[in-house]
Amino acid sequence: MTSLGQPVSPRHRPGVRWEAPRPAGSRRARAATYVTVRVTGLILAVLVLGHFAMTHVVTDVAEADAGFIAERWGSALWIAWDGTMLTAALVHGAAGAWIAIEDYTADRARRRRRLGLLAAATALLLATGWATLAVAILG
Amino acid sequence: MTAVQLAFLVGLTGVLAAVGWFALTVMRAAARGDGGTHLSVSLLRRLGRSPQERAELNRWAFYLHRVTGMAILGFLCLHILDVGTYAISRGTYDDLHELYGSAPMRVFESGLLVAILFHTFNGLRILAIDLGDLGQLTARRLLVPVVAVTLVLGVAGTVVIMAPVFS
Repeated sequence: MTSLGQPVSPRHRPGVRWEAPRPAGSRRARAATYVTVRVTGLILAVLVLGHFAMTHVVTDVAEADAGFIAERWGSALWIAWDGTMLTAALVHGAAGAWIAIEDYTADRARRRRRLGLLAAATALLLATGWATLAVAILG
Repeated sequence: MTAVQLAFLVGLTGVLAAVGWFALTVMRAAARGDGGTHLSVSLLRRLGRSPQERAELNRWAFYLHRVTGMAILGFLCLHILDVGTYAISRGTYDDLHELYGSAPMRVFESGLLVAILFHTFNGLRILAIDLGDLGQLTARRLLVPVVAVTLVLGVAGTVVIMAPVFS
């Protein structure tokens, strides 16, 4: 038994195949992901909780309709808030999902496919979000 | 029910299924690679020991952080698309948005709030661990305020979100 009550790893158990996790990407790329996740996370801690409070506590969700959006997006502060939140949330989420995919996909071809899919979906959603903001403001 | 409402519900079902599948993946990988964090008698015995030895909880916080993160990301994807209907027509958006006020969706929103709260405050804990170079024991102790804040704000928020259903 180890000191902190740690369990015996299956790599020491006979008959269990265990592969050491290989960190993917260069050292610099991993450091960049690490910093990105933390910086965007800190921003989101304020923006997302504020957004949730705004749409569920200050205003009841049933009243947060199209008129509510039109009113909010009449102010530059809320456009900046939502634009920043959208970008930070997608970057944060994509970086987190990227790490999870690398952790759980051992097969290299499948990993590349999934990461490509993630990158494409993120770009598409980012474009959709920005287009929504642009059309709503200009239209 | 209109077509956009149906599309939203199909999307939401897909998101929930994906989150369930991801949670299963996390737990399966945990059981295989981390040495048996799946629920078992020996694990329960470990968790039941004196507070100094409950560093194992750090690991559970890590799994919960991953699963809540993926759940929030799943909803975010759906949310970007549903707000996108506002750019097409306000009527379509209002049509779709009616769902958000329904009782089942309010239950979902309460769950989402709890997930966001845990992910946020556990994220701040991770930041503190890294910046302060805290050890396992301090990290585990920081879980107490994280869970406390999550529960207090989660219950308060749930009361506010669910109130219109009962009035």
